Amino acid sequence: MRTFLPAVAEQLFRDIQKIYEETTQIPDDLLIALKFVFGTCALQALDLVDQRSVTCLSSPSGRKAFQVIGGSGRLYTCFLSCHYCPCPAFTYTVLRRNQGLLCKHILAVYLCQAMAVTQQESISDQQMSAVL
Amino acid sequence: MSKVALQQRPRPPMPRRPNALIQSYTTALSVLTNEKDDLPVIETDSDLDQSEEDDEKDSGQQISDCGSDSADESTNVCPLDSEHMKELEISGYVSDGDDLGCTLTSSKLDSDVFSLQSGEGSKKSVRDWLTSAQAMLQTPQKPMDRQFKTPEGSTKKKRKFKSGGLAERLNRLHCRQRSAISFWRHKSISDTSVAAATTVDRPGVLVLEVLEVHEESSMQLAHCEHQQPPRDGHQERNAVSEETTRMLVLFNRETAAQLIPAPGDVIHIYPPWQSLSIEGFICPVILSTHFSQKVSSASKPDDMSLPKIWLSAERRLPYFLGQIFGLLDECKTKSEGRAKQVAASDVLCTFGTRPCLSLLEAIEGLGQAGNVDQDVDVVVQRVYSVPMADCSPVSFLKHRASLRSSTAPPTAEKGKTRLCVLVQDSFGIFSTVRLQPLSSSDELHQYCQMWQGRTCVLRGVKVVERVTRERHSRLFSLIDSLWPPATSLKDHGNSLSILNEIGSPGPPPSFCYLLSGHQSSVEPREGQTVSPLYLHPASRTLRDILRSEAKSCRCSFIATVLYKRMQSTDVGQGEVWLVLTDPSLQEEQPERPCRRTVALCVSTSCVLTSSVLEALNSPAVCDMSFRDAIREHGVLLCAEQSVIEVSSVQHKSSFETTTRQDSLSSSEPQVKTLPQPPRLDSLSLETTPNSLCSLTGVIVGVDENTAYSWPACNLCGSDNLEVSAEKPQNFHCISCKSTLDKPDTKVQLEVFLSSSSLGNCTLKVKLQQKTVMLILNTPVLESSELQGYDVESVLGKEVGPLAVYVRVVTRKPALWMGLEEICLQAC
Repeated sequence: MRTFLPAVAEQLFRDIQKIYEETTQIPDDLLIALKFVFGTCALQALDLVDQRSVTCLSSPSGRKAFQVIGGSGRLYTCFLSCHYCPCPAFTYTVLRRNQGLLCKHILAVYLCQAMAVTQQESISDQQMSAVL
Repeated sequence: MSKVALQQRPRPPMPRRPNALIQSYTTALSVLTNEKDDLPVIETDSDLDQSEEDDEKDSGQQISDCGSDSADESTNVCPLDSEHMKELEISGYVSDGDDLGCTLTSSKLDSDVFSLQSGEGSKKSVRDWLTSAQAMLQTPQKPMDRQFKTPEGSTKKKRKFKSGGLAERLNRLHCRQRSAISFWRHKSISDTSVAAATTVDRPGVLVLEVLEVHEESSMQLAHCEHQQPPRDGHQERNAVSEETTRMLVLFNRETAAQLIPAPGDVIHIYPPWQSLSIEGFICPVILSTHFSQKVSSASKPDDMSLPKIWLSAERRLPYFLGQIFGLLDECKTKSEGRAKQVAASDVLCTFGTRPCLSLLEAIEGLGQAGNVDQDVDVVVQRVYSVPMADCSPVSFLKHRASLRSSTAPPTAEKGKTRLCVLVQDSFGIFSTVRLQPLSSSDELHQYCQMWQGRTCVLRGVKVVERVTRERHSRLFSLIDSLWPPATSLKDHGNSLSILNEIGSPGPPPSFCYLLSGHQSSVEPREGQTVSPLYLHPASRTLRDILRSEAKSCRCSFIATVLYKRMQSTDVGQGEVWLVLTDPSLQEEQPERPCRRTVALCVSTSCVLTSSVLEALNSPAVCDMSFRDAIREHGVLLCAEQSVIEVSSVQHKSSFETTTRQDSLSSSEPQVKTLPQPPRLDSLSLETTPNSLCSLTGVIVGVDENTAYSWPACNLCGSDNLEVSAEKPQNFHCISCKSTLDKPDTKVQLEVFLSSSSLGNCTLKVKLQQKTVMLILNTPVLESSELQGYDVESVLGKEVGPLAVYVRVVTRKPALWMGLEEICLQAC
């Protein structure tokens, strides 16, 4: 009862990372592959990446979280240790209906990480608790 | 404004990849402003076009460094500084529903900043302010602007992606892919029966037998057995080794719904598709399987109803959310060292087709920067030239110099022209290809002879644009004139066209590619005469063309030019109006009433070769061949893609050579078979401007304001006379530098005529010298005598029949026609 899509996704991210590191470009075929695997949220996630909407918050105690500024301006905090996003899309599409692997915010996080364009930010532990 | 300059720092302009192993799936339309072309900026026909606005807004953007933690920057940081605020609109995506409360959020941010700005005591620390300010700067949006404008809501109807960004590029690729898919589906649906029977032996097509299907997150994954095609022609890039025949094929929801893969089915997957090698997996994973077709099914379709099959694909349990896809622990901008330096090109491969008969496939399998890697076999349907915009500063100087000699006729090589061809592949898709500039406009004829009608290889071209019918109606009128095709077309679902009997080829294509190439992009295949797909421009008679009921169509014909009117400006060629006739219009007793002449306008987008210009500048009547002229609203027009050539016995025009029928290509010039003088229509109430008519009438008035006379040189006819310095009674001609005792007198007279056939109509006619002399009853005019003439003496005199050119017709408040008597040259 093995699932394969996660491995496909992971491989794609690895590819993106490698090629972006070498050439600072993502070739068209990788973009197309992303669209194929992730569907509509691929475009939206890329838009978020273009806007540099993903920030990695880190606190002195070593805790980390990702904050994504969504299309409407809303901040979503996504976790590091597992896939979770507070956006409604994640709740319905991923959790309830099991029709998607990720929501656009988490995908944006992965893409930004792969391309190393995540904004970095340090916040205090107190703030981190507030965020999480 | 170079797009390069607008791009953000993290993304420099497209670098040259060291090893282009990856054959890109679709076009990556590079910034053409980088190249030394005068080609237009890339556009797409997708719904989500970038507007010009965004470019201008982008120029004001500045994005601060990632991770730059700067207390010192705080003084520079000013959220209200418009320079730092990107004005791009970020729309909410309705599907996500995260626009709920967006206005609340933004206004919350606003109020935070504003409370600080106003200097009120803020509970938050400077640190917090910096954080929020930085957050706003790093991901700029419009919370500031929202303060000033009434909030429209975050859901904008039109989503605008960042110009030059990944989303915009993917959007473009996806739109193109979507149209390719629908085109392919349409083709394959219309011909499913034949596809099942024939074996597909084209490389690049995957023949798979489904072993097991399961569903994961709305995708269907099929474990398949790859059946190797009998032919052995694999490329080196083929990641599918001979040993592993198992493949994991992914189908997205739409493809799966149409395909309904089930164990035992045989599926053909046509290129382009993608293969991904995953570390730790033995079988390759096949992606982008949009062009899939079920060839045979293990189970009879009658047995199983639709919902059953769908459910039979078991859904795997959702993956454990704790299984993250790597990368998340690396919070650095660049991580040091890689464990495996596996080039990405080895992992994700894209397969296109190799022997290329299809423009669509060649274009969908584009290399980097939009270059079409593959050679495509095409038929050259038309060869023409287009004027090139001259924007170099040198040419402006040239033009200014020519302004002084304003009496010179428009010169032939004023503007450069570029060679273009309209090609069609064996699947019916059209494409125009812009080639190299022509050194002389007469070269066009040679290229026509060499290429038109032949099968050629198209290579080394680049995609500029994919255009649709709505915005390029002229081009599509030419494409429509080449539809339906002369022979049956190939079908994308079947490589063997012989077996493929398509009853009707369907409607003409709704899209066309604009490609750009160079000198050697078109090469005729050896040993070819005329391709069976070639549709030569059939020459018709003018009467036939005028009678045609089509609202707008392309037509080709040979006609005699009776009169030319050139509204030439000094810079380049202006519009030219011609009045044409041919034997079909000049018949003595036509069965049905028809016009005697027809007007044709040559617009500036139609290139006139030097031989044509020469013929137009000379007063003699001549025959010309018009290829692919446009008939629109009852008017003939030569615009882009139209070709005009002088038709003479020695110089056979481009369509006469390849014409199979011999209808109009007579050995005798047409002009000699016309009655002399040519018959003209009488002026009537329905006469349109730019026509030639004959008119008889009685003078009822004289325009005294425009009546005048002037001396002219007896020898050269020039008006450039000066009073001779030595003898004040004599004149000196500047043009031919001779002294004249008694110069000729030229006279201009405009009269108002009344004609019995035209009741309430004012007709103002500018008469020719001869006619004026006639009505003034004098053989020779003395310069001093004109003043003596009385208007009364000419009133009531009858003139005509005159050949007149209708310059202008106004119908309100009453019918008024401005006419000019012309002299129809004897042939």
